[in-house]
Amino acid sequence: MKRFTFFISFLFIFCTSILWSGGNLLLKNGTILTVTKGVIARGDILIIDGLIKQIGENITPPSGVRIIDITGKYVIPGIIDSHTHIALDGTNETGKVITSEVRMRDVLNADDTSIFTALSGGVTTVHTLHGSANPIGGQNITLKLKWGKKAEEMIFHEAWPTLKFALGENVTQANRQLSPGEERRYPASRMGVVAIIRRELERAKNYMAQWDRYNELKRMKILNRPLLAPRKDLQLEALADLLRGKLVARCHSYRADETIEFIELSHEFGFRIACFEHIPEAYKITKELVAERIGISVFMDSWAYKMEAAEGIATMPAYCTQQGVLVSLNSDSNERIRRLFNDAAKAIKYGGLSEDEALKLITLNPAIQLGVDKWVGSIEVGKHADLAVFNEHPLSAYTRCDLTIIEGEVYFDREAYLKEREAAQKVNPKPKTTGGNQ
Amino acid sequence: MKIKKACFLIIFLLVFFIVTLASTGPTYAIVNCRIISPPLPIIEKGIIIIRDGLIEAVGVQGKIQIPDDAEVIEAEGLTAYPGLINAHTNLFLEAVPEPTQQPAASQAQAQPERRPVGPNLLVIDQLKPRKTDLDSFHKIGVTTVLVAPQRGIFAGQSVLLNLNGEKIEEMVIKNPVALHVQFITERGGYPNSLMGTMAYLRQSFLDTAHYVEHLIMWKKTPRFLSRPIYNAFFETLGPFVVEKKPIIFTCNNQEDLKRAIRLTQEFKLQAILSGANEAWRVSEELKAARLPLFVSLNFRPPSTSLYANQGEAARRRAEQEIYPANPAELHKSGLTFALTSLGINDASTFQKNIQLAIKAGLPPEIALKALTVYPAQILGLDSFLGTIEAGKIANIVLCRGELFDPKGQVEKVWVDGRLFKIEKTPEAKAPTAFSVAGSWKVTVTSPLGEMEMTMELEQEGSLVRGTLISSYGRWEIRDGLLSGQELSFNISLTMMGQQIEASFQGRVDKEIIEGTIQIPGGTANFQATRIPRAD
Repeated sequence: MKRFTFFISFLFIFCTSILWSGGNLLLKNGTILTVTKGVIARGDILIIDGLIKQIGENITPPSGVRIIDITGKYVIPGIIDSHTHIALDGTNETGKVITSEVRMRDVLNADDTSIFTALSGGVTTVHTLHGSANPIGGQNITLKLKWGKKAEEMIFHEAWPTLKFALGENVTQANRQLSPGEERRYPASRMGVVAIIRRELERAKNYMAQWDRYNELKRMKILNRPLLAPRKDLQLEALADLLRGKLVARCHSYRADETIEFIELSHEFGFRIACFEHIPEAYKITKELVAERIGISVFMDSWAYKMEAAEGIATMPAYCTQQGVLVSLNSDSNERIRRLFNDAAKAIKYGGLSEDEALKLITLNPAIQLGVDKWVGSIEVGKHADLAVFNEHPLSAYTRCDLTIIEGEVYFDREAYLKEREAAQKVNPKPKTTGGNQ
Repeated sequence: MKIKKACFLIIFLLVFFIVTLASTGPTYAIVNCRIISPPLPIIEKGIIIIRDGLIEAVGVQGKIQIPDDAEVIEAEGLTAYPGLINAHTNLFLEAVPEPTQQPAASQAQAQPERRPVGPNLLVIDQLKPRKTDLDSFHKIGVTTVLVAPQRGIFAGQSVLLNLNGEKIEEMVIKNPVALHVQFITERGGYPNSLMGTMAYLRQSFLDTAHYVEHLIMWKKTPRFLSRPIYNAFFETLGPFVVEKKPIIFTCNNQEDLKRAIRLTQEFKLQAILSGANEAWRVSEELKAARLPLFVSLNFRPPSTSLYANQGEAARRRAEQEIYPANPAELHKSGLTFALTSLGINDASTFQKNIQLAIKAGLPPEIALKALTVYPAQILGLDSFLGTIEAGKIANIVLCRGELFDPKGQVEKVWVDGRLFKIEKTPEAKAPTAFSVAGSWKVTVTSPLGEMEMTMELEQEGSLVRGTLISSYGRWEIRDGLLSGQELSFNISLTMMGQQIEASFQGRVDKEIIEGTIQIPGGTANFQATRIPRAD
């Protein structure tokens, strides 16, 4: 049983190896890359109650505060992934074409080990979304990756509630593999996608009008007739919330033309687009994106990986940044999520961004896109103490993340983790075949 | 109409029940037995008189007269317990093969008639009692079972049976008992994801409430209000959503428990949470929600659990050492619950798992209560079931040794006063060593229909390696383990850009392996037959 306890501590790495700091911590003698306020070559960060209290040199902490010496290491704000699908039990609801009623909040899975993978790459916040199979997908959610905590405790409540839209190939090909006799799902073309979104938004407007009429009649109380409330429709409720400004749109798009069309749709109906997802052709419409103040959340690589990405270019994220577009780099993957800092570095090589600009792609910019830049995204006094500590400069090809901290608590400690893994392997030796698909 | 019919049937059955029982079984006097029936005090040397299917009298030996017509059962050295109640099973139900997704035209002509799944399905119409099932449950002391439908989100309504024979009408104690809701997905159509299922449940509850409101308003003032369009689905759900008749949610993992709690609070439902083999992980939420709990003794970690995703050895250890402690942990945190066999296919595993739960710290007295008086209370049957008291139904188990002790041996069981004698279990044979090495033809019945695959296995002691070959690709078998007849392994496959972990678990029987495949969000069945080696 003792051996077994050991083994379980491997599973719940933090329960045994990390002393909970209670949100009080002092990081000592690190190189601090604040992202917004320059670099402090050798400095301390004092964290009290999960917030950054003080940044400077030779800070004396109050008694009882845990001190971690990070001499020779680099601290950056915790990395934010603006577009991923981890910590969920399911990604797409493909049973219908329009599924604005589904909520990712309902299918959180705090046991997803991808959370830990992400932490090992310095990621502290993710925006986890419905997939791109439907023109209108579901309601997404923003999480802090508090591994070991309950799903509810991970929710970043201050973040904007967002609704997923999707254009292009993923939608039109959502049921490309048909069984004999099965009918192909509408829409099967780009024009169909825009048409069905317009149709649904019209329905939502009618729905709102119906409720307005009902509420007006109810208020006036003049009719001596029975008054039945309209049917509450969760699908249209979500779209009505979009039109009321309570939800913002996050739209998966690849081509410039369909993107412009979607922007026009937002003018027609008066809703807000926070961000376009992936959009390899963004470099063609930077003026429009800047004018509309719409961000883009993109891959650093993966340009030209499928037909509608054919005109993608490696320098797109850097070029768009230089043109004034709010750009973030996303993983869209539970594996690439652990090396977003490498992706940021590529934007220096391909397009010549400055170090701060490159780091903003994975910290401050996604924070702005999610509406949480007041709390996270840079190392500033008063912000949440969400930090990642690297052994070398985070934009170096040889760097690795050693510590990941959320609100002053250490959720990933590479040294402690490796010790535990070693111990666990003694108890539970690796099987001879390691597996994996071929 | 169906409801009316059902009500009529219930009334009819109850009357039938009372009338017929008057003529069942002789009168028995069980003498000199120890009587354990919590929360009542233990009677060291007691007597129980059974007449007309009921307990006529119970008390200390000598204080109660033995009736002249009674058959005396000498029970010196034996202990009498109330018959156990297993509050969530799929007993007597045929494992219905899921329909393949082929269009109607290409399907075979003679499709067995299938009642559509839905809230109006009454599971009583689908029962096929089997004597072997009856015997196996009697052998472990179970006299009463709740049988729940097993397919669909709104699976239908359950029935409570007393295992007194093979005639359904005579077995029924209560029908229907509750509506069963499961957090699963529908095949083919909407919803085909868990998030869709949640939205579908919410919309169904909202629509039902709206329908009922409309109906009530129209009945009150039919002028200037169009009548509601009749809807059988809402008619059936109405009593559960508006009148708060009980709904039993099957919760496969800790998140499902929280989902059920949220729905219950959102729509003010009267709910029982069943399944719950991860309940200890959300004991705080459960305490706050104050909902009755049916805890399954199935110790297999759910596919979403972090214990299930770190290799077969870790999963197995969790199954043997972590999940069995669930009932003990719940008890420690002050929760009361009933224990069930949901997800366990055979009675002997159920019995073994009761023993494991006790070994993991659940006091035997609590285990007994969780199988007698607690389920009776939760189901509102405690006035006539759950303890050995005069006037209650004569469900009694007579056991040599302790009921939950591995050495305990049930000798006699009375159900509705009918005596069933239990044959002694023969000594267990040593498990045979199997070899699974070779080629196998695998048929998977998956959400996408049937799929044929080939499996090549190598075996080294209990470690199994190999590959699965299908038209979609080749997958290496990981974490393969053969323990006794139980074979388990995992594969990871990439489909539509997503990595999917599939966990196989099956039973080897010489030339056939049968079992289930767990994938995130569902299960499938597989059968493998050995391909003879060409010499």
